[in-house]
Amino acid sequence: MAVSTRRLQKELADLKKQGTPVGIDLLSADNFEEWFLSLEVLGETVFVGEVFCLRFRFDSSYPISSPAVQFVVDDKWQAPMHPHVYTNGHICASILGNEWSPVLSVVSVCVTLQSMLASCKEKKIPPGNDRYVRHAPDNPKETRFAYDDDT
Amino acid sequence: MKVHVKNWHGIAQWRWDTGHSDMDDDGEGDVCGICRVPYEGCCPSCKMPGDDCPLIWGECSHVFHMHCLLQWIATSASKQQCPMDRRPWVTAERKANRDDNAAR
Repeated sequence: MAVSTRRLQKELADLKKQGTPVGIDLLSADNFEEWFLSLEVLGETVFVGEVFCLRFRFDSSYPISSPAVQFVVDDKWQAPMHPHVYTNGHICASILGNEWSPVLSVVSVCVTLQSMLASCKEKKIPPGNDRYVRHAPDNPKETRFAYDDDT
Repeated sequence: MKVHVKNWHGIAQWRWDTGHSDMDDDGEGDVCGICRVPYEGCCPSCKMPGDDCPLIWGECSHVFHMHCLLQWIATSASKQQCPMDRRPWVTAERKANRDDNAAR
């Protein structure tokens, strides 16, 4: 059994036993390669009333290797308009890249992204969005993002 | 020959001395932050807990299954940092028995 499967089984059991943090819900976890969670920002923020969908993809060495995490953009879901979120759903967040740690989890990533959205003051797309989206790889982990601020 | 165990008496149990004696609320001991398996269990690559799947202590006081931590430290992404506090990982000497220390 892959290391990732055993760890994800534990995370799933904890999610079912303890529930998810407020604003975060498990939409599907039918296998140990791909999960979907919904994300809502609570309180008075620029995203009030909006619900987003996060897609997690895990390889067999998760949590040693980071999950590929992005917002879903399709007929039903939109990516939040945020300076660190490209319109194709790819997210520029250091914990998904060079600051990933194997003690992080699906829930802790969701909570971090929730607070990233909550602290947003102005809805703006990232600079260079069109150029990035045109050439973006399918898997956001293949993009080398430059993390140039700490917001 | 088949043997049926009718009953048994446990006479001893072991646990790693992680410096935390308390069990958490679900009745399990502390878990390795990387694999989320109790310290007294073994890392996902091993089958038997115990000396073959030991713990490793950092100078920063964080404890992991040795195999889990070494797998992380072997990646370039780890930058040789502790997964908990991102300080450079320095393996600590196994703590001496705390009762001995207190007696000195």
